[in-house]
Formats: sequence, C-alpha cells, structure tokens
Amino acid sequence: MIFSGKLKKGTIRRIMGEFKVHRVRFFDYMPSGIRAIAFNRQTERIAVARVDGSVEIFTILYNLFQEKVIPGKEQRSIEALCWVGERLFSVGLSGEIIEFDLHNLRPRFTIDAYGGPIWTITANPQGTHLAVGCEDGTVKLFEILEDKIQFERNLDRKKGRILSLSWHPSGTKIAAGMMDMIRVFDVKTGHAIHRLLVDKAAGAPRDQECVVWSVVYLSNDTVISGDSSGKVKVWDALTGTLIKNHDVTKWDVLALSLSQDETSLVAGTSEGTVVQFQFLSSVLGKEDKEWVRTRTFKNHTHDVRALAEMDTAIISGGLDTQLVVRPLLEKHDVKSQASALRKAQFPHRRLVSCAKKAQLLLFQYPSHLELWRLGEGEEEGTPGEKVPVRRIPEKLLQLKAKGEEHIFCSAVSPCGEWLVYSTTSSLRLYKLQYENNNISITKVSKLPKVLRWAHQLCFSADSSQLFAASGRSSVHMVSLNPEGCKHKHTFKPKNGSTQPIHLLTVSENGLWLATANSDCEVHIYSLSTLKSHCTVPVYRSGVSAMAIHPTKNNLFIAHADQQVFEFSIELEQYTDWSRKVQREGLHLKWLERDTPIMNVTFNPRNPDHIILHDMYMFCVLDQSLPLPDKKSQFFNQLTLKSLPEQERKTRCHAFKVCKLFQPLMCVDVLEDHSLVVVERSLLDIVAKLPAPVKQKKFAT
Amino acid sequence: MAETSETQRGPGNPSSEVITENNNLRFDSSDDEAPEEVNFEDSKRSALQSVKDALEASRRDKKTLKEKRRRKQELFLEQKKRRLLPEDVLEEIDATPIRHDAIPCIAGNEVEKEKAMDSSDMKPIKEKARSLQANCSVTTVKHQITASTHQKVAMDFVQSRFYGQGTRRATNNELLSLNNKKGANKGAAFQFANTKLSTVERAKAEKGNKRWLHKNKLIST
Repeated sequence: MIFSGKLKKGTIRRIMGEFKVHRVRFFDYMPSGIRAIAFNRQTERIAVARVDGSVEIFTILYNLFQEKVIPGKEQRSIEALCWVGERLFSVGLSGEIIEFDLHNLRPRFTIDAYGGPIWTITANPQGTHLAVGCEDGTVKLFEILEDKIQFERNLDRKKGRILSLSWHPSGTKIAAGMMDMIRVFDVKTGHAIHRLLVDKAAGAPRDQECVVWSVVYLSNDTVISGDSSGKVKVWDALTGTLIKNHDVTKWDVLALSLSQDETSLVAGTSEGTVVQFQFLSSVLGKEDKEWVRTRTFKNHTHDVRALAEMDTAIISGGLDTQLVVRPLLEKHDVKSQASALRKAQFPHRRLVSCAKKAQLLLFQYPSHLELWRLGEGEEEGTPGEKVPVRRIPEKLLQLKAKGEEHIFCSAVSPCGEWLVYSTTSSLRLYKLQYENNNISITKVSKLPKVLRWAHQLCFSADSSQLFAASGRSSVHMVSLNPEGCKHKHTFKPKNGSTQPIHLLTVSENGLWLATANSDCEVHIYSLSTLKSHCTVPVYRSGVSAMAIHPTKNNLFIAHADQQVFEFSIELEQYTDWSRKVQREGLHLKWLERDTPIMNVTFNPRNPDHIILHDMYMFCVLDQSLPLPDKKSQFFNQLTLKSLPEQERKTRCHAFKVCKLFQPLMCVDVLEDHSLVVVERSLLDIVAKLPAPVKQKKFAT
Repeated sequence: MAETSETQRGPGNPSSEVITENNNLRFDSSDDEAPEEVNFEDSKRSALQSVKDALEASRRDKKTLKEKRRRKQELFLEQKKRRLLPEDVLEEIDATPIRHDAIPCIAGNEVEKEKAMDSSDMKPIKEKARSLQANCSVTTVKHQITASTHQKVAMDFVQSRFYGQGTRRATNNELLSLNNKKGANKGAAFQFANTKLSTVERAKAEKGNKRWLHKNKLIST
C-alpha cells in the first residue's frame, strides 16, 4: 500500500454547451498482447488469451462483444488454448494444464504435466484426447473425462522442444513442430513415422535453429508448416517429402489456421500481415489442386501471434493487443453488419469507477488501483473554451493488490469513503478518511463470510449498501456501517441461471436493483421487499450497459448489437418510447457503429436526456425529440450550428453525438452537473508496445 | 714449551717429526682427557630415541586435536538438539496424514490459504502441504524452483527469438514517425509531435535541432 500525492498532467476543463467537462487523460491503461485464440464453432465463441495470463470470451453473434473476462495471475503465461465442446483448456510455460470454469470465471482445476514448460495443446477431432507438447521433447496424451483429465501416456520422447502440434482428422497421427524439424507420430504405437527436416533461413547464423512455430495436418495427408525462416512449407506426410515452399516473409511465420473445409489457410507473420492461401487448381476445370498464395491482409502493426479461421471471417490477434475480425468478402453476398471489419481495442467493461459526490475517480489496473481527485476550474467560461484550472488533479492513493492474482473488479462509493476490489479468490473492503490534505485507509477486517469474491461490485447511491455479484447469478447485499458490515440478503434469480453477472445497477432512490448476466438475462429485484420483482424479456444479444432512471424508474438497456430498450420497472413492460424505437427502427449510422455502448447515465437537469458513450463518441439521447428517419442526416451537430434558429427545430432529432473526445474509457456525470470524460490515446499505447520489425518503406 | 720452540728453531731437524710432535702437543693442550668413546650401539639408540620422541609428540598433537574436534562436535550436537522442535511437535508432524488432492477444490482450501497469507508475511509458495498450525506449512520447494527456472529458460528462448540479436527490430517511435511521414496528413517525427514527451527529452531535441541548423548555416546569428 503506497500513499502518494504525486501530481500529474492537469485536466483541461471545457465548457461545452450545457456541461462543464473534466477531460481526464491520466489513466495510463495498457492492454496486454494477444498470445492465443481458439474459436468454438458450436457456440460461436472466441477465447482469447493475453500475455498477462487473462482469458477473454468474445461472441461474434450479432456483433463482436466481450462476454466474459477471467483475470490473469503473476507467473501464469498462457501459450495455447483449446476448446473441447464447451470446455476450455489452456497450457502455459508454468508447465500446467488449466481448465477454466466459465460459469464462475476461474480455473476449475490445474494439473502439472511434469514435462517442463508446455508450448501447445490440441484436442483430437473426436474430442476424447488432448495432446500437449512440452519443453523436454515429449508429446503427452491426456484422456478427457467427465469432470477432469487423466494422463494416459507419452509418445516416444525426442530431444528438442515441441512448439506446435496438429492431429490428423482421423485421430491416428500427430504432426509435431520442433526445432529444425517436424515429426509425424503414430498415436497407436507412439513411434515417430517421419522426420521432416526444415531448412534454416538463408544467411542465418549456423547455431541459430529454425523454429517450426506452427503445423497443420490435413485429411489428405498433407502437412503444412510455418517456421522462423519465414516460409510456409507444404509436405507430403506419406512420403515425407517437401511439395511446395512459399516464401512469405523475411521474419517469422508465427501462426497458421485452416478453415474447416480445408480449402483455405491463413498464416500470421511478424510483420503484422495475415497471408491467405487457397487450395485451387492452377488450370480451370482440372482436378489437380495445389496451395496458392492469394491475399494479404494488414490489420496489425506488430507480430500476429494467434489466428483462427471462421467460415466467413479471419480472427487475428497479436502483440499490438487488438483483436481483429476480418470478414472474407467473397463469403458475403450483401453489405451488412456481419461483413464489416471489427476491432476490439478496449475492454467492453468499465475499468473506471466514479465517486459522483466526492469527485473522485478510481482506475483499475491489473495489479493495482489508483484513486484520483479531479481538478477544479474557474466557474465562468464561454462555451467551447478551455477554463483555467484552479486546482490540478491529484493522485490520492495507489493501492497494490495483495497476492499474485489480478484484480477482477473494483468500485468506489459515491461518497468516496468506501473502496472495494475483488480478485478471483479474495475480496477486500477499505474505509477511507480524509482530513484536510491527508488521507488514511483502513481495511475492514470482518467481512461477512459470503463476501469471498465477486464478479461485479456496486454501491448504493447513499453509500450505505454494497452489492456484490457472486456465483450462479446471485447478488449479496451488505449494509455498511463505520462499526462493521452485515450481510442482509442474497438475491437469486428464479430460473436458477448459472451464468456470471457482468452488470449491476441500483436505482438512485435505493428501491431497485437490476442485474445482467452472460445469458442475456436481465433480472430486477425490489430492495424494499427483498424479493425478485420481474425479468425483462430476453433479447438475443448481450447487455453492454444499463442504468435505472433516477426519477422515472425506467431501466435503460443498451445491447451489444446497438439496440436500445427502455423498460418501466413499475409497470413491468417496455415504455412507449421503447416501442416507438422498435417500430421505427434505429438509424443505420447508429447500428453500424463499431463498439458497444459502455455506460449509461442521465442528465440530472433534464429528465429526458440520457447520456450514452462508446469508444469513439458520446451521445445525448433526447427522448422528447423525434427519432431520426432513415434518410435524414444522423451526425447533424455541425449542420445545425450553421442553420438559423427557426430551421434548427425542424431538423433536430433525438441523437446528439459528440466526437470531440476519443478514444473514451468512461463518461459519467458528477453531482455538480459536470461531465467527466476519461480518454486514453491509442498512440500512447502503441509507443509502449514491444518493438515492431524494421521495415524499409520506399522513398523514406 | 721453551724447549719445543728451540727444537723448532734448530736447523737440521727433520720437518716431519716436528710436525707430529707439534700435533701431539696440541691435543694435550686442548683437553686433558681422551675423547669419550661413543660406540655405534649408543648412537643408534639415541637416534632412535629422538625419532621416537618426535613421533610421540606428533601423536600427542594429533590426539589433542582429535579431542578438540570431538568436543566441538559434541557442542554442535548439543546446540542442534537445543534448536530442534520439541518431541511432541515432531510427533504431530508425523501423525498428520498427507492430503492427496491433485484436483484442488477451491471452496475449501481457499479460505485457509487466505488466512495464512493474511497473518504471515511469508511468500505464498505452499500448495497442498501438511497443515501444522494456523500459519505454518511444510512443502517441497525444489520442484517449484526447477519449474520456475525451466519457465525462465523458455521465456528467454522466446525473448531471444523475437527481440534477440539479428532479429531486425525497429522501435515504436520509428514506426509512428514513418506513419507520420507517409500518412495523409504529414507530421514531424513522433518524438517531436508527441506533446506528452518529458521536458528533458524535448529540451534535448530542441538543442539538437538548433545545432543542426547552425551547422548547416540555415540560421544567422
């Protein structure tokens, strides 16, 4: 625990129309590079492992949306991921195989493979066995059982680390990429059948071995490899001969992925390019086909370390930390939302928590928290101008998380006196006290036993209660007193859902609590009767943000596919406005946006105003104005400015979009009606990434 | 005496005789008695005796050294015994059965681990150990140490393959500067365009700029 009063870059306050804006640029959020991707065809989920050991589950149904996050741990470095049905396995350099519990967002079990660091894991197409490749040169087979996995045997041990593995679709043979060679093993006998030697790159030092980073075994007994000499090689595994050599890059080919019908293959390189190969016949109408290099995509600036090929798109990720879903346009007939390039750069959940009354911001980093006090500016100013800063923002506290586990979620109470965070196995609550310029922090030692960990945390508006989302979609309600805290009630959904809750919101008057879980269910509980009140009809897409209106008690819900709903809690039905939106449909420009709505707040001065934000804009949604019709201009703020007063009224519509501040991490309204926007520059993130390759560009 | 001197001086005396006389006289004058007769037996005995003495002495030395060492050893043992845990504790260690849980169940163990971590400052390298008291545990460390060194080696391998010698890497600064140079709206190199650069670096860059202008005589001073 470090108490720090260090000062950092001042905020610029601007007056913009009716809001005073705190422009915050001191949240040094730094995403971690992507190491592995696994795509599940049955459930259409993408599992992404990052360098810091965290695992994220994305869905591509309707839009790219981050559904679940399993936080990382020090020393846990994941090298590969593998889906078996709905079970997710990972291996890493710590030498352990981990199965993740996707309902409780934590490792279900950990097994040491006793073969040193593990580089790769693959399941056979039948889904009965797992093969892992170890540093000591063994390929180990594990049998997949109902609730665990069991070591079965080793294949013949050969010297040299095993970096990549691929099963033959029949499940009888395995190709293993090693140093300087590929070996093909017979699974039944465990003996190596073939040894395919891979050449070094021309001009490479003699002692530098060629690393086979990735192999793919096709059903027609072809093995395709990608190696550190920058080549994609096609081998005949029956004779053990090289058929074709594609020179792809001067650096490494790091990842390969094959489409399900085995007609397309993509290779990721250190240059940040993704190269597509297709199995085509060179002469039209002839039968004999070969692998031909067809297209090159460049969506990354740094090494592409992980790839997966869906039927209609290529998913790629690398050390530049972004996940890119690149559609294959020949598979799409019409231009639609599914045919757009999707990128996930920022997490789709909030890392910033705002104490509205105390004007504090809590930033969540993987292993520590920072508490900042916002600056103060002069009261007067003309719209659009910067306001001179009277008091610069101040870092009050830096709190290091105890233990090796990374922080799951955190919250600061609106009054700023309580601070809580949770890791996968522990929850800690702190009481903060301010005396002039001093701040003292004390840990609340006696927590109720139910508060062991939480998926999501939230305080009530009067800071008297803490809500913690726990396993099986339940929510614990704990009352906070200076003397101690007491467990009051646990809310459980009626349908007994087992999915984790990712959003929690409490109404301003302290009467209602709403929860959203990964099954797209929204449950509403009454805090006065301590009972389940009702359930919002389930919509197909996940909830990305929601909030309860302070006066009208309507629950406003934004979904990952950009639809918005308003649900009246008292009447237990959608409001008229919501029905109107569904009837008339939202503007195409709104639906085409790339990133989901991340927060919903309300303008305290005008009950009709709802403030929404995503990564690139924030929007004041005015419910009193008509919705934009399909042909009208959607981003019309600049046009309106140039029009005379009279004409303005006729062309106004409900969505007032501001793109002045971006990329946004958080937008919130404080109690004094000023707006807080937290920005994080993408350039600053790039400047801190690991080194890219040195490329010569013509005429530079 | 006087006589001898005379005869010496007398001419015609055979010189050999004189010399013998002289020799006898000299013996007489140095010692009255004849030298003691030391026979071989005696000298041998005395020599043996001295050797024996020396051996004896060295043996004695060795013996005392041995004694010293023994006493030291005893002292060590004594100290060690004093440092050992009392009997009952040792018995308790043997009595507690080893828990075989290859698959850790999170619910049960977590709480204990947490407690242990809270109350003591020791590193959390304890997995499935025999539980002694509230905050003590016995565990083998060797396997973990080797595992972490293996992990380190593997990580170093990746690091050297990506960023080691001869990997032809640039910096992010160069990448961004290249984008500024080639992009639609051209700009200066990233390090100059970036307003968040620290003041020291910026001052340095400015100084370098000035020097360059000066050198190329683009500025008149």
